[in-house]
Amino acid sequence: MDFIIEFLPRIFDGFLVTIQVTFFGVIMGLALAIPLAIGDLYGGKIVSTIIKFYVEFFRGSALVAQLFIFYFSIPTLLNIRIDWFTVGLVAFTLNSAAYQKGYIKGAMESVYEDQMTAALSIGLSKVQAIIYVVLPQSLRIVIPAWSNEFCSLAKSTAALLTIGGKDLTAAGRTMASQTWRILESYTFIALIYFLWITTVMKALDILYNKVKIPGLEVSA
Amino acid sequence: MADTVMECRNLWKIYEKITAVKDVSLEIKEGEIKLLFGPSGSGKSTLARCLALLTTPTKGDVFHRGECLTRPGVNLNKARARIGFVFQHIWLFHHLTALGNVELGLRRVLKLPKKEARERATKALREVKMEEWANHYPAQLSGGQQQRVGIARALAMDPYIIILDEPTSALDPELIGEVTDTLRALAKKGTTMFIISHEMQFAREVADEMIFFNQGMIVEEGPPERFFTKPSSDRAKRFMERLIKRTTKE
Repeated sequence: MDFIIEFLPRIFDGFLVTIQVTFFGVIMGLALAIPLAIGDLYGGKIVSTIIKFYVEFFRGSALVAQLFIFYFSIPTLLNIRIDWFTVGLVAFTLNSAAYQKGYIKGAMESVYEDQMTAALSIGLSKVQAIIYVVLPQSLRIVIPAWSNEFCSLAKSTAALLTIGGKDLTAAGRTMASQTWRILESYTFIALIYFLWITTVMKALDILYNKVKIPGLEVSA
Repeated sequence: MADTVMECRNLWKIYEKITAVKDVSLEIKEGEIKLLFGPSGSGKSTLARCLALLTTPTKGDVFHRGECLTRPGVNLNKARARIGFVFQHIWLFHHLTALGNVELGLRRVLKLPKKEARERATKALREVKMEEWANHYPAQLSGGQQQRVGIARALAMDPYIIILDEPTSALDPELIGEVTDTLRALAKKGTTMFIISHEMQFAREVADEMIFFNQGMIVEEGPPERFFTKPSSDRAKRFMERLIKRTTKE
């Protein structure tokens, strides 16, 4: 087990990268997904078509290809250099927003019509109705889907390896190739993924039950 | 002569395939209670929503306190804030407590400070006898209780008229009484109301005038007594007979 201890600092650094990119991607993805969902629902035909293109591009192409576009193609076109960490943050945010938009839009549609009419009837504007009535309910409903998205994104960050990122999987690879303890190295890395992902999923589960509207049965 | 609070002139609402409201004109004066009834699918709800500015009429105008609100450029949000509306299917905000439901408009539309909004919301809940349930969520309340909160939500905004779209028809029979009692109390205080309802006993007690509505049109209007003794149109007569028969059976 000595070799693991020896590599711990490196694994820890890789783990930090993975955590940072994941959380940043999911949270910024959410921040971007909310206006996308609202734009798709209320923005009219042109806005909703643009959003559809964006979503289909990110859902319909390979994540590694997206990383390559942001790491190689765009910088070459613009004649600049972008480091792999920034590329990771941007690509995972845009990718995750595309998925999350669908979940949020679905949740908004499920609470939308009667709640909106009721909100308008007391004099709230459409925007206020979305902020104070539709979103608070939709975001509660969306938590289970959101936790799936987190789970999937957390693992996808391993694709950073392909653009030279030093994430958790990269640390595992370094350890495996330098010690030749291939089985132990990757098992250890997999265990770390497993532990932190299940912890966060459990936390989201608790959150879901905590913010659940008392007495109301919802199916998302 | 009391002032006219709400009025519509030659109102039409045409959907793609059906005409829900055909050339309807009516007016309600301050303190008056008008009760609209008629077969389901006759366009009653659509009319109520046009009057409450929740649906845009195809043709015709809606006036509230002398102001035409169907012209372009009218601030509908501002106008709706003073028109109370109570829904058939209640439609409370699921994520807010009874108090939260009543407070939302006070805080976000009227922009009252927190303390004042709370006082006013509590007062409205007291008026519908729901003060004790202030901290319960809609799903924790019975249908009748929910509808009383719905009435309080409308009432708290200090509306000059309350429009009620079949406030009891989605409720279990044993819960109807508590809602009609609440409305009776409001009637006694002189609240101007436009009520769609088929609770005939209640109608007879509170309505100043009843309107029989069928196929998007006003068929007959007059004081309740006339409907109960000798309605002039055949259609209204048959409908009344059926309703009364149903009520006495229960």
